[in-house]
Amino acid sequence: MKFKDYYEVLGVARSATIDEIKKAYRKLAHQYHPDVSKDPAGEAKFKEVGEAYATLKDAEKRAAYDELGRHPAGEEFKPPPNWAGNQGGQEYSFDETDFADLFAGFTKGRQNSQQQGRNRPIPGQDYELATNITLEDAYAGITVDLNFIVPEHDQQGQIKRVPHNIKARIPMGVTNGQKMLLRGKGGKGFHGGPDGNLYLNISFSPHKLFRVVDHDLFIDLPLTPWEAALGATVEVPTLAGAVHLKVPARTSGGQKLRISKRGMPKNNLADKTEHGDLFAVTQIVSPTTLSEKERELLQALAISSTFNPRTHFN
Amino acid sequence: MQMESTELIWLDEQHEISMTELIELSGFTQEELLHLLEIGALSANNSTETDFLPSELRFSSHCLISIRTLSRLKSDFELEQNALGLMLVFLERIRLLELQVQGLESAK
Repeated sequence: MKFKDYYEVLGVARSATIDEIKKAYRKLAHQYHPDVSKDPAGEAKFKEVGEAYATLKDAEKRAAYDELGRHPAGEEFKPPPNWAGNQGGQEYSFDETDFADLFAGFTKGRQNSQQQGRNRPIPGQDYELATNITLEDAYAGITVDLNFIVPEHDQQGQIKRVPHNIKARIPMGVTNGQKMLLRGKGGKGFHGGPDGNLYLNISFSPHKLFRVVDHDLFIDLPLTPWEAALGATVEVPTLAGAVHLKVPARTSGGQKLRISKRGMPKNNLADKTEHGDLFAVTQIVSPTTLSEKERELLQALAISSTFNPRTHFN
Repeated sequence: MQMESTELIWLDEQHEISMTELIELSGFTQEELLHLLEIGALSANNSTETDFLPSELRFSSHCLISIRTLSRLKSDFELEQNALGLMLVFLERIRLLELQVQGLESAK
């Protein structure tokens, strides 16, 4: 494991008082807490800050940490054999232990010795995972493989990093940003405590054609100026196959034409499938090149037309 | 490595969780949750019914999203009880505004 300098993480001296430690933690928590900060690196930084604070605010843990001595941050490190004596007399190998787990293990050992075998149930930890799926997968439903490694207590109470692989069925009708709960799939409980839960944050990968709002879909629909002026029937792709859409005459750019029930499914109560709508947002696109004939026709139109889209300027 | 398979529980407006489940999942006590209900920061789907026991209250499962954030903030910032209701109201307002912004951006 790599040594972590918790005093350096919090930016305090080794002689800092508990008030100074608390003050430093609060300042950093405001800066990096994932529920407060928009800094993408904030979560990892806060985890480090929280870990340092959890150890240094507790007098016994701090004493155990100080006992490890000074080492450069990031240096390969193994606690001395006699340090394990603090952990309720258990023999620890530390081979699969992360530095962050060291003091959780210390607490476990201390709790065990304090309880004199009463083995108080300790609930497993909750975890959060994010998964990214395509719009097509969200439309049809998909089974995702969730792979993650979590610290767990073994039978001796020692913390090990255990890989998990869970298959989770994401049903059709899920929305972008939807959160879901997998009960009992978090960290293992200890001494009969309940297992923790796993929270899954589902997001959609950007789609090349569609944008999604709740259960509605939006697609840009490019039209030629004459299709927009005269009206037309055009083919529009949907997630369930292309449909024909009648574009009314005198359509402007930016209008939203609704294609009913061609959005995302709403089947989250499993009794019947309803769908959101698909909105085609019109865009009027001029040709990048004009043939001689086209130019002549457009010039004739320009001469004979009295239409002025800028009357409101006057 | 053992492969586990499981079904997901939706956290949204349509699905409900009981008071017991909310206590278990949020980390708050029944007393704390009743305080949040009393000041209107949290609402139960059946709180308008008369003669109900607190243990019979049912909540939309989506409330767990803001409640869990509140629970983390309470623990990480050592927040006081009186600040929690206000914070829950703001968290829910932020969640709804973020959804609204996301919708407006996608519908452009």
